[in-house]
Amino acid sequence: MPGGSSKSGGRGPSSSPLPHTVVPPSRPLRPSRYVPVSAATFFLVGSTTLFFCFTCPWLSEHFSLAVPIYNGVIFLFVLANFCMATFMDPGIFPRAEEDEDKEDDFRAPLYKTVEIRGIQVRMKWCSTCRFYRPPRCSHCSVCDNCVEDFDHHCPWVNNCIGRRNYRYFFLFLLSLTAHIMAIFGFGLLFILYHRQNIDRLHAIVTLAVMCVAGLFFIPVAGLTGFHIVLVARGRTTNEQVTGKFRGGVNPFTNGCWRNVSHVLCSSQAPRYLGRKKCVQSVCVQPPFLRPQLTEAQLAAKILDNGIQGDLHRSKSSLEMMESQSCDAEPPPPPKPELRYPGISRGNTEECSLLNNAPPTPTMYKYRPTYSPGKNHTALTHAYANQASQQPGFRSQPSLDRRDTSSDRARGGGSGERREGGREVVAGGIPGYSLGGRSYPSFSDSTVLSGVASRSSSSTHTSTGAIHVSEATTSASFKSLASQTPPPHQTSRNGSLSYDTGSREMLRFSPSHPITTTAPPTTTTILFSIARPLPHPPPHHLLQRESALLGEPHLSPHPPPANQASAPPSSSAPPPSHHHHHHHHHHHSHHHHHHSSSSSISRPPRFPAPHAPLHHAYPYRTRSTDTPLGPSSTSTSHPPNSPHPPPLGKSLSYSSAAAAEMQYRLVRKASAGGMGGGGIQAPKDELIQMKPQSRINGGQALSSTSSSCSAPSSPSHLVSVSARPGVAYPSSTLMQSPTHKTQGGGVKKVTGVGGTTYEISV
Amino acid sequence: TSEFHNLQELRHSASLETKVFIQRDYTEGTVCRFQTKFPSELDNRIERTLLEETVKTLNSYYVEAEKIGGQSYLEGCLACATAYIIFLCMETRYEKVLRKISGYIQEQNEKIYAPRGLLLTDPIERGMRVLEISIFEDQGSGTSSPSSSSMSSTGSAR
Repeated sequence: MPGGSSKSGGRGPSSSPLPHTVVPPSRPLRPSRYVPVSAATFFLVGSTTLFFCFTCPWLSEHFSLAVPIYNGVIFLFVLANFCMATFMDPGIFPRAEEDEDKEDDFRAPLYKTVEIRGIQVRMKWCSTCRFYRPPRCSHCSVCDNCVEDFDHHCPWVNNCIGRRNYRYFFLFLLSLTAHIMAIFGFGLLFILYHRQNIDRLHAIVTLAVMCVAGLFFIPVAGLTGFHIVLVARGRTTNEQVTGKFRGGVNPFTNGCWRNVSHVLCSSQAPRYLGRKKCVQSVCVQPPFLRPQLTEAQLAAKILDNGIQGDLHRSKSSLEMMESQSCDAEPPPPPKPELRYPGISRGNTEECSLLNNAPPTPTMYKYRPTYSPGKNHTALTHAYANQASQQPGFRSQPSLDRRDTSSDRARGGGSGERREGGREVVAGGIPGYSLGGRSYPSFSDSTVLSGVASRSSSSTHTSTGAIHVSEATTSASFKSLASQTPPPHQTSRNGSLSYDTGSREMLRFSPSHPITTTAPPTTTTILFSIARPLPHPPPHHLLQRESALLGEPHLSPHPPPANQASAPPSSSAPPPSHHHHHHHHHHHSHHHHHHSSSSSISRPPRFPAPHAPLHHAYPYRTRSTDTPLGPSSTSTSHPPNSPHPPPLGKSLSYSSAAAAEMQYRLVRKASAGGMGGGGIQAPKDELIQMKPQSRINGGQALSSTSSSCSAPSSPSHLVSVSARPGVAYPSSTLMQSPTHKTQGGGVKKVTGVGGTTYEISV
Repeated sequence: TSEFHNLQELRHSASLETKVFIQRDYTEGTVCRFQTKFPSELDNRIERTLLEETVKTLNSYYVEAEKIGGQSYLEGCLACATAYIIFLCMETRYEKVLRKISGYIQEQNEKIYAPRGLLLTDPIERGMRVLEISIFEDQGSGTSSPSSSSMSSTGSAR
């Protein structure tokens, strides 16, 4: 369920949008919540009591004693299941502790994909509960909790139905149906025998009870039948209603018999909240045993100058890789502790997903979602859009889908959107892609990190220890919606890492001369860099997907009339579903997706948000799960920023190299299939993030080597996007060529405020 | 934050350095299983085989807890027949296994992990989403990140 923080009564501090504001944790009493359950209880108990008092005595005399006993047993069963369904914890997950969320909110992606029996399933970051929701878990906005195996929130019992109490709910429905049928039947029997003296009180009461029973029978029986089908198919109401498996395969089913036995016969699942704490008293005292270091580890230790910062022993593989410089440049100043390079980190998925992207400045917290790490271009676009006309918070998971990743990204993006759309409008776009298209999330990130790190390490070595805090470009960061700017927005010299979470830093050695360039200049340049890879708005992916699946497209996009100018230098778009495949082959700096050929209108090149809200919201948000809102869905066709001229020309920048680099990286990563599942998006985001994170740093703009130069562009782009009021790229674009190349010896680094530093190397 | 401590106190204290989380393995659905992939942060703290063994044992416990068989079926029928009042008196199968798991984790902590400056936290306290391993650093000897208070006993108590 979309986490409507506005709907839930109260929020804990963790879900508060503004860290410094304190939200009272207690919820206000809302009597309206209790009306349905009270009514249900009233009718149930009242009618049955009347039945027992007025109808049963005569029946027990004239037929048998079994009548009231049978009815009594069934009624008891109904009541017991009703109480269990009402009062039992459905499987609420406790909020994650602070230290579990290691990554800075600003950088972690909103979605994490996991493969379940060959099918990609997305796990969304829950900003209220601070973890990635396990599969089948959903956040109930009424109860403000994440519930395991979430089925639905039932107003009649005023409780969520989840893993722990689904069985009781199901049995309640079955028994209630039987109970209603029994009451109606026996009441009818009574009436048939009392046709002559129907005006007696007993008969009248029986008639009234029969009416109530008859009235409730239809919805209850309908619901019972519905749940019988769900149980047989191994689906939850949430999945059925949101159409997750329509056209797809349900990875959670084990066959009808096993599904039924799982519901009815499995052991009662334990609750997570309110458990008795068992205190372990274990003494942990140094000295500690240590395993023998392997050769490789020893060698690695030697390599890294023996530098072991004790700051943030980050688990990011980025830092590990940093020591491996591919440059001949002097080693960087001391960095945070480096462990053993080359070790792939996939340890914590969150970690591996974390691509250190610069934190999002406050003002951009509601930015349209961009896939993190995607190219800077994406970011720039986002910012540009925002600056220009951001109607709201749109989610564009992958604005900048460079060809390579485009396919996947788009598939992912579209999947994301679709899912979001689905949830929003209860449309039915499956959120799971078919198996076989597995996009190994972690292995890919590992690969990417491996590659990216090399490039980034080169960056680092050349630059030094300045952290450049850049606005988070990609929207798919967790903290996108966070209202606090990243703690340390220091963009200048100094080697402080800006906050605990940040790992990937751009480091520039203070010894390098730093000059600040006028912002407009920077902007121009950056925009031009950014341009190269406009990426198709996710919409069209969404549309493509739906077209493929025959689903109605939920988010309408007006035909991209204004996009005519946008020149996807790529070939005119072929039918939308072919795009998936085409993207991989584009190099692009062009916006392939821009095809207007698709029946669905495409969002403009610099897509403004369009897609469904929070689902398409690639970044984890601190405040709440729901994206900001209405604006995200409102415009399918965002006001358009004028499309800048094709950036092909500016590609000579390092951005081109960056694009190239990213393309390569993404290609590597995209072993699996293309196309579309919604799951693709997150992957893409992840992948894109990595290169970006690695790449910060001031590298010479002109690409000396593609690997080295690539990194710089994203950072630049990021910073550009971070600038408030950076406006239309188009205006600045014009000037970009002038700033193009400054020869090999200048690095541009953009700080948080949008200032650019040119560092001559 | 800087804290002033008696140097003597600090000499042999251990403080929490960081935590590593072993995530759930969802490749087979929503059954409770933890990944056996070895986290790199523990590379120099514990042998791979030991951790893998622990995780595998835990996984087998969870399989046993979630098994649908005769015992769980009978439990369900009995509960139904007594209008679930039996839940007040009886411990369910799952809870029994959870107790076993808790004991196992305690034992592993005492024997294997604490001597290496690590501590396992029962996954049930994290909603069975992660297996948390706390890594302690010896403040007296190596570098350590700014830490919270030194802990001599760890517990799930929070």
